[in-house]
Amino acid sequence: MARILIIEDDAGTANEIAAALTDHGHEVAAAGTGRDGLLRAATEEFGAVVLDRMLPGGMDGLAVLATLRATGNEVPVLVLSALSAVDERVRGLKAGGDDYLTKPFEFLELTARLDVLLRRRTSPQRETVLRVADLEIDLLTQTVTRAGQSIELLPREYRLLEYLMRHPGQVVTRTMMFEEVWHYRYDEPTNVIDVHVSKLRRKIEIAGAPPLIQTVRGAGYILHAPD
Amino acid sequence: MRLIDLLRTGSFRLALLFLALFGIASMVLFGFLYLQTHEFVIANIDAWLGREAPKPFRSSVAEIERSFAAHAANNQGMEHVFVLYGPDGQILAGNPLPMPTDIATFDRPFNFQTQAEERRMRHRGIAHRMEGGDIVLIAQDMYETREFDEAFISTMLWGGALTVGLGLLGATLVGAGTARRLDDVALAIQRIVSGDLSRRLPSRGTAGDLDRLAHVVNGMLDDIERLMHEVKGVADGIAHDLRTPLTRILAGLERAQRRAASPEAYAAAIDDAIFEIRGVLKTFSALLRIAELEDGARRMGFSAVDLRQVARDVIEFYEPVAEEKEILLQLSCTDSGPIMLNGDASLLFDAMANLIDNAIKFTPARGRVTVELDHAAEGIVIGIKDTGHGIAAPEREAVLRRFYRSEQSRHTPGNGLGLALVSAIARLHDLTLAIEDASPGCCITLRQTRPALPSMI
Repeated sequence: MARILIIEDDAGTANEIAAALTDHGHEVAAAGTGRDGLLRAATEEFGAVVLDRMLPGGMDGLAVLATLRATGNEVPVLVLSALSAVDERVRGLKAGGDDYLTKPFEFLELTARLDVLLRRRTSPQRETVLRVADLEIDLLTQTVTRAGQSIELLPREYRLLEYLMRHPGQVVTRTMMFEEVWHYRYDEPTNVIDVHVSKLRRKIEIAGAPPLIQTVRGAGYILHAPD
Repeated sequence: MRLIDLLRTGSFRLALLFLALFGIASMVLFGFLYLQTHEFVIANIDAWLGREAPKPFRSSVAEIERSFAAHAANNQGMEHVFVLYGPDGQILAGNPLPMPTDIATFDRPFNFQTQAEERRMRHRGIAHRMEGGDIVLIAQDMYETREFDEAFISTMLWGGALTVGLGLLGATLVGAGTARRLDDVALAIQRIVSGDLSRRLPSRGTAGDLDRLAHVVNGMLDDIERLMHEVKGVADGIAHDLRTPLTRILAGLERAQRRAASPEAYAAAIDDAIFEIRGVLKTFSALLRIAELEDGARRMGFSAVDLRQVARDVIEFYEPVAEEKEILLQLSCTDSGPIMLNGDASLLFDAMANLIDNAIKFTPARGRVTVELDHAAEGIVIGIKDTGHGIAAPEREAVLRRFYRSEQSRHTPGNGLGLALVSAIARLHDLTLAIEDASPGCCITLRQTRPALPSMI
């Protein structure tokens, strides 16, 4: 699907990430130091970069990212950080269109976030109406219709649906939903999200029709038009 | 106790040092007294000589002979001596004292010794050479000074011996006492090191220096014992919490090995194993999170947080869960302005979410869960009150421990780490967690322990 550069000093972790991304259909390149990674990111074409925050050799992950941006390179970056190293700079990554993930993480979480980063670049979000199958939401009037029938949603349900509609056909994990819809960072995925999703489902799904929101076991949800 | 141990004790050495210092001071004092007294006695003799001498010295030889002979007849003793010697040293008149062999100076007092009838005598006297070569000697026996000297020296020796004796005895007693106490302490420490953690250092209940030290060390030992129990509890908890899912994983995999015939059956077994392992990892992550929170490193990411907003968000997040159980979940707040706290919004959300989650779990259907926010003068108070069955007083401390599961909660999902996590988050924010009785139900409060730090923004 895309070429991904992994900048990670620990060979074991790098191999595991590479294996997970390859299985997910990506092409993978790896660099062991910040300097090496920066050189490759600047000279080659990548869809996204997975960057460890802590790198040996005097150039840490955030320095690599800053240098990359200073040269005008806009490749989306996913920073891997230890929980204790999550500070304002790491949190600020989301505002800049990048993302971060705390170690240890699950690979489903990594691939789901990478997919969002990759898609964000290819599809600029200028639409005013989002549509999946016969479900439609109008971003301007904030109204939802299914097969022409208007559906009443609570504000939070609307934002949850909007987030799912913005990423059709992509796995969104519970932590991603929690971050995007509730704007808190929760490292422990909570099943309270499931209650919200099931409430949403009850409102938008039609009896007899194939479901639009599907559960991905152990990961999260995916919204797509039935085949 | 061996002698060498005694000699090594500090108090014994100190006692010896004081003994030596006292001895030197006594010697100086004695010497001074001796010199002063001696001078006084000599001065007395010299005064007597000064009174008696001038008259005979000025008289004629005949007069002297007569008066000396009269004196000698009246005074047989040799205490006060008046003698007239011929130029050859022969006694012409007076007391029978042989002429001193070495008259150093004439007309000035001097000390001399004479030997008469096997008796050595010491005198102080004054001699005068007459014109005819005769020598007049007036002298006083120094018996008194000798007596004084002897008494003085014997006093000094006895006193010294007594002082040294008593001093050594005292030093030994003190040293032995200290050595024995130190032996007791050392023994107690050895027992503790060898694993008897409940043992404490012996204390006599006085406020002595060793007792004060023992008190402090015993306090430290209390802490260590508590921590060791906690570590043991955590280790037991981990062992227990891991054994159950690992046993299930193993059983599932073995079953797949035995019976699974199709790829689908294998896939199902793998799915089950992944699900269980994820649970195990979750437990570990929760433990690591608590450890990380206790580190305090996350304070670096602190910023000004509006607690009211966080509370509203948590309540909104949990509303559907509460609705399912028909529990009324509400926010109660004394005033309406923002309640600012320097902290980590996600962690505060997490803490409140954990407490609300528990409250909903342990409150029967149609109950009530209230989040109370209070910005009192003494600090911020966050309270989560429910109408459940509460937590029994003896259990209130235990529920904060990692992996603790009360009887009622043993069969509900969870890993027994929730309250430990909340407690760690609270500590990070300088909040104190307290579990109170809300009759009915339970109220868990987080109270600010000290005034909020000025916000970073």
